Amino acid sequence: MSRYDVNVILYRLKKDAAFRTRFQASPQTVLAGADLSDEEREAFVRWDTRRLNELGGSLHLLVSIPHLGAH
Amino acid sequence: MGKIVYAATMIARAGPRLLHGKNVGPHGRKMVEELIDVVRDMGRTMLAARPDALVVIADDHLNVFSFDAVPAMCVRIGRFVERMVQADAIEFDRALDGLPERYPLHEDLANRILERGLEDGFDFAASWSAPLDHAFLSPVSTLCGDRPAPPLVPFWVNCFVAPLPMARRCFAAGRHIARVVAEGPWDVAVIATGGLSHFPSCRWPGWARPMPAFDRRIVRLLEAGDHEALCALTTKELHESGSHELLNWMVLIGAVSPAAAAVRFFGEMGRIDLAAMEWSVR
Repeated sequence: MSRYDVNVILYRLKKDAAFRTRFQASPQTVLAGADLSDEEREAFVRWDTRRLNELGGSLHLLVSIPHLGAH
Repeated sequence: MGKIVYAATMIARAGPRLLHGKNVGPHGRKMVEELIDVVRDMGRTMLAARPDALVVIADDHLNVFSFDAVPAMCVRIGRFVERMVQADAIEFDRALDGLPERYPLHEDLANRILERGLEDGFDFAASWSAPLDHAFLSPVSTLCGDRPAPPLVPFWVNCFVAPLPMARRCFAAGRHIARVVAEGPWDVAVIATGGLSHFPSCRWPGWARPMPAFDRRIVRLLEAGDHEALCALTTKELHESGSHELLNWMVLIGAVSPAAAAVRFFGEMGRIDLAAMEWSVR
């Protein structure tokens, strides 16, 4: 369970525009060194927000990431 | 001897920004406009009481405290506080656009709440730098309008990152604030912000809806002044109903107990239940 890591990435996606741009260009590359389960990594790559939420991703982060969030 | 001269709770986004974009449909728009009028009227009452300070109890929406450290409760100290600025913010976080960038703090009251808290067993965190997001500044700006806000004492409660503080502990923190106010020389207004049930279990929008029956029960308890029943609310109940932000309200309820609340506004908007409450404390 790497809920902390999921949320740290979500937090960076919200707050760090350069990180967000790199993620949008190539999520696999950005997440290469992250301590994520296969399931979490796949949810990030597919940007499956519902799944990320199920996996412990903070709702308030998921809905408020510029250009990626939905509220 | 100081006293609490005004106390109220309201939804965090109690401001015109809630009317922007796709936030509300026609039904919601009418309801929000009515709520904003009510909150503006509450602001006139608050400012007529001429408070020396305004304690604002609210939660962080993962804007300020990263997952590296999440305080259960935190007092903002220092002389000034900035509003949160975020490039490319989504609608949810743009509620602050156009508001003043800097607000004075009531340094002495904030320090007393913090220092006396630590002496009395409340291990509050302190922040010299945390900015304020919409949960603090939307209600303050609606309450005060064009008039200057009283010096602020921002007080954060962790409502979203488990484990959360218990309702009873939040109530006790409010009792502590009331003691500090009573021992000091200032007249103090206190507000707590947050919606009623929304996003039960913090699940994705569309999966979940408000729980009006739960919210109506909460409002009845507030009107009855049944603070023991409110203190007995469990974290599980608050999480499952999406009523996490009631923890902010619990601090205020502790500060004004045993006073009972008067409902100024209650509305079921379909996506979130809205309420504005006042306590007779004078």
